Amino acid sequence: MGEGSKVIFSIFGILDVTGEVVTMWIILGVVTVLCLIVKCNLKEKPGKFQNMIETGVEYLDNFFEGILGRKKSRQYFTFLASLFIFIIFANYSGLIPGVGITDYAKAPTASLSVTAGFGLVTFIFLQYAGLKVGVKHYFKRFISPMFFMLPLLLLDEFIKPASLALRLFGNVFGEEMVTEELYHIFPIGVPVVMMVLSILFCALQAMVFTMLTSIYLDEATELEI
Amino acid sequence: MTSAIIAIAAALAIALSTLGPGIAQGMTAKSAMESIARQPDAAKDIRSTLIISLALMEALTIYGLLIAFMLVAKV
Repeated sequence: MGEGSKVIFSIFGILDVTGEVVTMWIILGVVTVLCLIVKCNLKEKPGKFQNMIETGVEYLDNFFEGILGRKKSRQYFTFLASLFIFIIFANYSGLIPGVGITDYAKAPTASLSVTAGFGLVTFIFLQYAGLKVGVKHYFKRFISPMFFMLPLLLLDEFIKPASLALRLFGNVFGEEMVTEELYHIFPIGVPVVMMVLSILFCALQAMVFTMLTSIYLDEATELEI
Repeated sequence: MTSAIIAIAAALAIALSTLGPGIAQGMTAKSAMESIARQPDAAKDIRSTLIISLALMEALTIYGLLIAFMLVAKV
């Protein structure tokens, strides 16, 4: 929100490293190591761990295929799935004991800067995907039913990522604040109620973010207008 | 005096912004469940559309929540 996060140290005096950035580095490390472990031990008969990961990937594949169709979901699967995996890890990192209390580790998605970054990446990706389908088609989309729709559709293009960012930030930040307030009321046992709900909401928010992104993507790359 | 008014404003911001979306989400969930009961085959499609519409309504509450937090910070 208004107050900035505490800067731990800065690289070259310009790049400020805050608790959110450190947590994101840790998440990147954990995800990379998990991927390397699975990739190096691929077997014809999957073990328990590989089975679990395969189920997850298959679920994501079906999820995007239901919205985008087979061809487009395969084309954009890497971006959408990476977004989903990163957001869900970032949301769950707030549930680890100690995260959020110290300045050195904070849930990344409880900061507006991070979610605004997600929104910006989504915005750029949507423009790129639209342009890749065809430049003429890209500009035609803004005047699709009638030319006077141009200001509205132009505005809509900027509101989409902003509302995505605000929704994710508001939900995760709200959960953190409610848990903290409950902790202040009665420290033992009571915050668990909210944390159990958070387990559900964190997954739901990551799903909603990627689902809306893929719906916008479907709109942006639709050929018949 | 001013901080008391700000506190009331914060409470009203979250209360009023929960009221409308709360009613709307209830109505949405009701009709979604009715349609699932009528056509269990279409449950998957209905569920994904339901989640999207709930998320879009939830956004309004979240805006109210953000405003409330901003106001509380000023008390």
